[in-house]
Amino acid sequence: MTETLTGKVYDIQGFSIQDGPGIRTTVFLKGCPLRCPWCHSPESQLFQAQLSWMAMRCLGVEKCGNCIPLCPKQAISPGKAVQHAVTGEDVRHVRVDRALCDNCGACTAGCHPKALAICGTDYTVEELVGRVSKDKPFYDHSGGGVTLSGGEPLCQPDFAVAFLGRLKECGIHTALDTTGYVPYEVFERALPHTDLFLYDLKHMKSDDHRIVTGVPNELILENARKLSRDGGRLQIRVPVIPHFNDSPEAIEATGAFCKSLGDAVEMVQLLPYHNLGVMKYQRIYDPEAGGKALEAAPPTEGEVAALKAILEGQGLPVTVH
Amino acid sequence: MYELSPVADRVARIREKYRTSRPGICIARYKIVTDFYKENPQLEGVLKRAENFRNLCENIPVVINPDEVIVGTQVTKYRASALYPEMSFGWFLDELKSGSIPLRDTDPYDVDPEDAEYLLETGDFWRKECLSAKVDAHIPLGYFDAAGSGVTYFGTEGTCSFPVGHFTANFEKALHKGFAAIRADAQDRMEALEGRLFGDGAARYTFYRAVTVVCDGMIILAQRYAAECAWLASMEGNPARKRELEEMSECLNRIMSNPCRTFHDAIQCMYLYQIGLCLDAQQHGISFGRVDQYLGGFYDADIAAGRVTHERAQELLDLFYLKVAEMNKIWPYIATLSGPGYTSGQLMTIGGVTPGGEDATNAVSYMMLQSAGRLVLHDPPQSLRIHKGTPPELWDAAIETTKIAGGVPTFENDDVIIPALQARGLPLESARNYCLIGCVEPQGCGDEWACPGGTGSEAFFNLLNAFLLAINNGRNPMPGFDGKPAPQAGPQTGYLYEMETFDEVLAAVKTQIEYFANWHVSLVNMWEYVASEHMQLPLLSATVDGCMESGKDVMKGGAKYNSTGNAGIAIGNIADSLAVVKHLVYDTRQVSARELYDAIMGDWEGKEDLRQMILGQAPHYGNDDAYADEFARWASDVYGDAINSATGPRGRYAAGLYPVTAHVLYGMITAASPDGRKAGEPLSDGISPVQQMDKLGPTATLKSVAVIDQEKFSNGTLLNMRFHPTALSSESGKEKLIALIRTYFAMGGMETQFNIVSADTLRKAQERPEDYRDLVVRIAGFSAYFVELYKASQEDIIHRTELSF
Repeated sequence: MTETLTGKVYDIQGFSIQDGPGIRTTVFLKGCPLRCPWCHSPESQLFQAQLSWMAMRCLGVEKCGNCIPLCPKQAISPGKAVQHAVTGEDVRHVRVDRALCDNCGACTAGCHPKALAICGTDYTVEELVGRVSKDKPFYDHSGGGVTLSGGEPLCQPDFAVAFLGRLKECGIHTALDTTGYVPYEVFERALPHTDLFLYDLKHMKSDDHRIVTGVPNELILENARKLSRDGGRLQIRVPVIPHFNDSPEAIEATGAFCKSLGDAVEMVQLLPYHNLGVMKYQRIYDPEAGGKALEAAPPTEGEVAALKAILEGQGLPVTVH
Repeated sequence: MYELSPVADRVARIREKYRTSRPGICIARYKIVTDFYKENPQLEGVLKRAENFRNLCENIPVVINPDEVIVGTQVTKYRASALYPEMSFGWFLDELKSGSIPLRDTDPYDVDPEDAEYLLETGDFWRKECLSAKVDAHIPLGYFDAAGSGVTYFGTEGTCSFPVGHFTANFEKALHKGFAAIRADAQDRMEALEGRLFGDGAARYTFYRAVTVVCDGMIILAQRYAAECAWLASMEGNPARKRELEEMSECLNRIMSNPCRTFHDAIQCMYLYQIGLCLDAQQHGISFGRVDQYLGGFYDADIAAGRVTHERAQELLDLFYLKVAEMNKIWPYIATLSGPGYTSGQLMTIGGVTPGGEDATNAVSYMMLQSAGRLVLHDPPQSLRIHKGTPPELWDAAIETTKIAGGVPTFENDDVIIPALQARGLPLESARNYCLIGCVEPQGCGDEWACPGGTGSEAFFNLLNAFLLAINNGRNPMPGFDGKPAPQAGPQTGYLYEMETFDEVLAAVKTQIEYFANWHVSLVNMWEYVASEHMQLPLLSATVDGCMESGKDVMKGGAKYNSTGNAGIAIGNIADSLAVVKHLVYDTRQVSARELYDAIMGDWEGKEDLRQMILGQAPHYGNDDAYADEFARWASDVYGDAINSATGPRGRYAAGLYPVTAHVLYGMITAASPDGRKAGEPLSDGISPVQQMDKLGPTATLKSVAVIDQEKFSNGTLLNMRFHPTALSSESGKEKLIALIRTYFAMGGMETQFNIVSADTLRKAQERPEDYRDLVVRIAGFSAYFVELYKASQEDIIHRTELSF
């Protein structure tokens, strides 16, 4: 079955050192049931492939413009004159009319600097295992391995489970970065092949969670309890989002929940909000549409340190990324 | 735990003086040597060099600056450069005449107008007396047709603007035996030969006589410093300084003649011997070898006996480092472009294993990193030898130091270097005792004459230009400096558009590499033939193992072990060029050979789309992709085998793959290439992939680079990596970097070095140099203060791929 099974991957990141122990490769699967406004990988949200466009790489129609005639939908045209972010020259980048674009990717064949690229590539399990196994010497020397992330990787459950299983057969340490928002049956299938769960907790109040991320938190919390009960090893990841979950009360509630999971929790990681995602929205949505991403001042070091102290006061081991 | 302890006030004062003094030119040495040469035409060979050295020791001004404890200098002005006209002088006179020396955009030197006048009046004597002129007169006749290739940079005039340099003495003998005992040994050997100069006896006798003369010189110099200390002590009002000067005087009167007793003795002896070596041989890559191994025993004994505190010993080491840092040597402007930032390559080696194979780390290993870190010094450069038993604490100290002083230390892999040295003839114990010379060149410590810099400036071999000649019928596509088309220099291997298969391309490239490797070796051998008559190194030969036994100078093959080094550059560009040609022209047939050829010859004019396709879509070395990586292996094998199989008068050659910053300089004079590089742009650096063409992060880069059979390159390989500082902000980040290096080393990597600085910081430093005065960055085989580099070199560092997370 695994020969025909494919997963949709939107990125593979080598020398990933923030996603679990040692030197790792992180594989990002496309598609997510949540719509967190602070999401720094907006290209991870939809399940289908999307055309991505990076202004920094686009040479402009003066020098290139190869993509324009390649589009069967006439969705690409010269945009307004702007200053190029790298060269500083006045250029007219191309503009993708998202209403016309059907993400077919025909334009990418002419885009040599890879400003236009299809985000979302199908891999078979063996192809992907082959790709990530290239760095096995680094995993072995560093106690690292492979992290499967997303989107929500368990939204492609058959592929994710098969991939994790093959990695374990190859002797590679596995970590799974998850929102927790999938049926527990899927976790049960992944658990035997997953050495470590990087488990996101965003808010303890289900209403707040639902209003902001689009889904309630009961299933997420329930799955965390069950995983702990069934022998899963957890690193809890808490994004610190201004005006959402950065109050002492919110963090204390999250800490209390982590404590209730007992020894299964190896570490709590605070991930302070940053606004790098804002730029990435422009790659897959019309830059002029705007308003898709949360734009806020990142928490200060002092604010994060105060939250860290609260969790540590609850007897939890904490790191800040 | 690595912590920087504060420096003593006087150390801080000297450091401030170091960072705020502008280098000048000192003519003291020049005057003494010029007078000596003019007055002594009757002297020849090694004896002339020995007498010249003793005369220098008797007459060079003795200078002791305020606050100094470790003393010795070749110059009367702080941070000034001495002049060494015996090697080459025409370039200096020409630059002096043009008035450009104080105005250079990198490494300017102030010249006193009266001194300039004197130099111009007397300097012409050297135009024909210097070694470079003598070599010019011996250039093989056939080379006049092969010059101008851009593959080997030998010209037919003004060759050898550098000394051989690049060696380390046997400091252990200087420290533990002393020059009186060495002199007595030479004297005994002379007496044994007296009246019996049969066979090569005359040569040996003269060598021993030269050794007695240089030993006398060394002792005289120390005693002159002792006398000056005593005199200063007699004038000194401060009782503590007075006592210190008296102690310095006592030390200087004793050392050099006698074995050293204390840590202070040992440092002073090393430094004064180094000053002697530079006075004699010109300061160029003259390295210190395994400093922690020399000093560890003295330190332990002094601490055990209560003769010194740790803090005092560390201060002495600081003062020693600042004395090394103050030493400057002016290079020709063009050469400065390949080694900018006032560096003289006085490399020190830390750690590694003992000759018996045990971990060699000692207290001084840590102190050396401490001095580099707390003084934020780019000079002296340091190399850390890594082996399986390197203590975690030493790893930690090294990573912390390199965060502060970019690229100090470099990381060298014992597991690759020791077998590489055995393969070139060193026995295991000697190979285990290796040190690094100049930039990254491994050599037996005190028993090998490896001549790793070849003749100096002419050691580099541009592999990319060999490729360009191969597809251009043996002609360099870059016009000469006069603007005229380059002459037919290499074999007529045809044009790219005439080659029907890719195998024909490979065959043509191999022909050109081998042809010019043979020429290169021929010219170095001719240089050595001439230099071994005129520029022997008796002060070095007095301690290097084998010379006393054989009665021969190192330049005559007297050392116990021998080889000659070379350095190939632009491995990334040749690998990518081969991959691009194979992929586009022969495999996918997307582009015709004619179109690609014309695009390169036209420097991509009107072919930007093709160039972008090559940059964006074609395979490139550095992405763990065998298609391109195999050409890095192929080209390095062809070059390495050609060099390693060559022989010189003293033994075999040893290939290396490192560029100093020759990749920037030689890039300026290399035409456009199929990898998308425009004419004049820098070549790839060391064994690194082409700048910004490695797109999959450090693990993929390292796997690609490890495809090169590095053990074949016993003259050293060099891999620069630049990390964003956030990568190392946590303890786990540091552990992961260590794991990264260990994995690279386990895969066969020989050396790596780091800049841990963001592009953003480097840009700010360009805009506001005054705020970034102390920002040290790794360039190639050495580090420098970023703000002292010329623009193209700064840009090259910024453009190297930044690895972040």
